[in-house]
Amino acid sequence: MQSPAFRVVRALLLLLIGIFFLFPIVWVLLMSFMTNVDILRSPPSPFFVPTLRNYVALISGHLSTSSGEVQIDYMHNLLNSVILSTCSVIVSLILGVPAAYAFARFKFRGGEDMAFTLLSFRFAPPLLVLLPLLGYFQAIGLYDTYFGLIWVYQLITLPLVLWITRGYFEDVSEDLELAYRLDGHSWLSTFFRISIPLARPGIAAAGLLSFIFAWNNFIFALILGSSSVQPVTVGALAFITASGIEYGQIAAALVLSVIPTLILAIFTQRYLVEGLSLGAIKG
Amino acid sequence: MSDKISDLFGAFLAGRVGRRELLARASQLGLGAAAATTFLNRTQSQALAASSYDWKAQSGQSIKLLMNKHPYTDALLKNIDAFKSLTGINVTYDVFPEDVYFDKVTAALSSRSSSYDLFMSGAYQTWQYGPAGWLVDLNKFIHDTSETSGDYDWDGILPNLRSATAWSGKPGDALGGPGAKQWALPWAWELNSIAYNKRILDAAHMEPPKNLPDLIEMAAKISKDVPGVYGIGARGSRSWATIHAGYLSAYTNYGAKDFDTSGGKLVPTMNSKQAKDFTRLWVEMLQKGGPKNWTTYTWYEVANDLGGGTSAMVYDADSAAFFQEKGTKEAGNIHYHAFTPNPDAHQPTPNVWIWSLAMSAFSKHQQAAWKLMQWATSTQQLTLGATKADLIDPTRQVVWDNQDFKTRMNGYPGYLEQFAASSPGAKIYFTPQPLFFNVTTSWAAALQKIYSKQVSVDDGLDQLAHDITAQLENAGITD
Repeated sequence: MQSPAFRVVRALLLLLIGIFFLFPIVWVLLMSFMTNVDILRSPPSPFFVPTLRNYVALISGHLSTSSGEVQIDYMHNLLNSVILSTCSVIVSLILGVPAAYAFARFKFRGGEDMAFTLLSFRFAPPLLVLLPLLGYFQAIGLYDTYFGLIWVYQLITLPLVLWITRGYFEDVSEDLELAYRLDGHSWLSTFFRISIPLARPGIAAAGLLSFIFAWNNFIFALILGSSSVQPVTVGALAFITASGIEYGQIAAALVLSVIPTLILAIFTQRYLVEGLSLGAIKG
Repeated sequence: MSDKISDLFGAFLAGRVGRRELLARASQLGLGAAAATTFLNRTQSQALAASSYDWKAQSGQSIKLLMNKHPYTDALLKNIDAFKSLTGINVTYDVFPEDVYFDKVTAALSSRSSSYDLFMSGAYQTWQYGPAGWLVDLNKFIHDTSETSGDYDWDGILPNLRSATAWSGKPGDALGGPGAKQWALPWAWELNSIAYNKRILDAAHMEPPKNLPDLIEMAAKISKDVPGVYGIGARGSRSWATIHAGYLSAYTNYGAKDFDTSGGKLVPTMNSKQAKDFTRLWVEMLQKGGPKNWTTYTWYEVANDLGGGTSAMVYDADSAAFFQEKGTKEAGNIHYHAFTPNPDAHQPTPNVWIWSLAMSAFSKHQQAAWKLMQWATSTQQLTLGATKADLIDPTRQVVWDNQDFKTRMNGYPGYLEQFAASSPGAKIYFTPQPLFFNVTTSWAAALQKIYSKQVSVDDGLDQLAHDITAQLENAGITD
C-alpha cells in the first residue's frame, strides 16, 4: 500500500516531467496565436491578445511583413508533403513488405547481401549522392516531378519498411503458416491471411516511422525540385526573410504541419494495439 | 481623357514633370496611386520599346530565375509583367530563403544544370562560381551595342560596385583590375554602419558614438545601467557573415588588412599589429556591451534586437535596421549614423554586400537572360524599386539623387546622411580568393575563442594566420 505522501510526490514529479516535455509544444502553440511584437517582447510573457492572423495568412496565402504584402504558398507545400510522404510510404509498403517476408522466410544466394545493401542506403549521407542524382534527374526528366521525388524518397522509406517488418515476419511462427497451407490454401493466400495480419503491428510501425522520416525530409526536396513540388520543410523557411523572421507564422506552420502526422499516429495506434493483441496468441 | 493621361506620363518621362506633380495631376484626372504606378510602368516600358534597340528579339523564349527571398526580389517581381510585355519573353522563377538559397545555387551550377538562366548572387560567391567556369563573363554583352540598349547606363552604376563584381580569377588580384571579368551586375547593396535607438540613447542622455572607444564606453554603460537592454549588436556566429559586416568595416578603418599581396602571393595578415590592436577593442566592445549569447548572433538576431528594443545600437547593414522600421516595437525610434571607428581616420570604410544578378554559363537563353538583367538594373527599374518598393540601397547614384527617393528616405532620420558620408569609402575590403568562405569561417571561429577567453588575442590571431597559410598551401594557392 502506497502512502498518500508518496502518491502526491509521484503525481507532482509526473506533472513536472510532463510540463518539461510539453512546454516547447505548448509555447509553439501559444506563439502561433501571437503577433511578432508579442513574441519578441523581453521578457517573454504568456499573457497576450490572441490573434488568428498567422493562420489566416497561411491559409489565404497573403502574408503581411514589415516590407509589405508577400504571397506565400504554404498550403501548396502542405499538400506536396501529403502527396510525397503518402505515396512514398505506399510504394515502400508494396515493395518492402513482400521483400521483407522473402528475406525472413527464404534463404537464397546473395539474400543477406541484398538486404544489407538496401539498409546501407540509410548509411550514406544524402549530400554524397545528391549531385549525381541531380545530374541523372535532369537528364531523364525527373527533376522537379513528384514521381522523381517519390522515387528518391525510397532511399529513406524502403530500408525502414524492409528491416522493421522483416523482424516481425521472423517472429511469426512458420507452423501457423504451414497449418494453414495444409488446409489447402495457396502460398499467396497464406501470406495475405496469416503472415500479414500477424505482422501488422510491425507494418504499422514501419509505415508510421517511414511517413515521419519522409515528412521531415528536407535536402532531397530542396535540391531535386523547384517550388512547385516542395514540401513544408522547405516551405516553412519562406518565413525567414532579410526583413525579419515571422515567428508567429513559423509557429502556425509548425502546428499545421504536425496535424497530418498526428492523425496518422492516432489512426495507426489502433492497428498497433490490435496487432499486438493478435500477436499474443501466435506463439 | 486617356490622351491627357498619356501626355502627362510622357511629360514625366521626358523630365518635364516631377513624380509628385505627376501623381497629383494623375489624381486630378481620376487615376488612383496604384493605377498611376501601373500606368507609369507601362509608359516606361513603351518608352524603352520605342528605342532602336530590339527588345523583342527573343520574344517567345522562356527564362527561369533563381532568387533569394528578399524585399529586393519582391521589388523586381512586382513589376515583372512589364518586362514580359516589353520583350515577349516568358519569365518563371523559384524563390528560396537565404538559409538554403546558396546551397540551391551551388547545386544547380556544379551539376551544370540549365534549369536556371540567371540568379541572385553576392560578389563573394562569384569568386567561387566565376573561376570554376559556371558564370558568363558579362563584358561580352555590356560592351556589345547590338546586345545592350543604348539607354542602358552602365557607367551610372556606382564605380566601387562595378569593380566589386569583376575579378580576374587570380587570387590576390584587385577587384575590377586588369583582365577582370564582369561576373555579375550590381543590382542593390548594403553598407555596414551604425543604427541606434534614439529613445534609448535619449533616455541615457547620450549622443551617437564618435568612434570605437566611445562606442565601447557607451555600450558598456547602457548594458550596465539600462535594464533589459544591451549596448551594441553585432554578428558573432561561426560564419563568414560575422567578419563581413561591422568587424571588417572597423578593421579596415584601423588600417588592418586580411592579406598582404605585395610579394606576389597571399600572406595572411590577420595577426598584424593593427589587426591585433583592433581585435582587442572589438572583443572588449562585445564583452562589455554586446549580447550575452553573441556567438549565436546572425543578421536576424542583430536586427530583431534593434526592432524589439533589446539593443541600443547595431553595427550592421543599414538595410537590416531599415527593415525593422515597420511592425516592430521600436519602429520610428531607429536612427542612422555614419561611423568612423578609428579616432585617427578621416572617413568611414564600410565593407559592403552587393546583391547582384549573375548569368549561368549553362543557360540556353543567354540573350533573353541578358535582357532581363539590363532591364532589372536600369535606372527606371531601380527608381521604381527605390520609390515604390523596398529596394532602399540602389546601385545608381542617379536614384540616390532622385527627389522622390530623397523625400521618402527623409522619413528615416540620418539614412541619407549616413549614406552620403559612408558611400565614398564603401567597397569590398576582402582580398578576392577562392577560399573566401573557409578563411572567413576560420576567422569567425577564432574570434569566438578569443571572445570566450579560450585564447588570448595574440595567440588566437597567430594561430588563425598559421591555419590559413596551411589552407592556402593545401589548395595550391600560395605555391
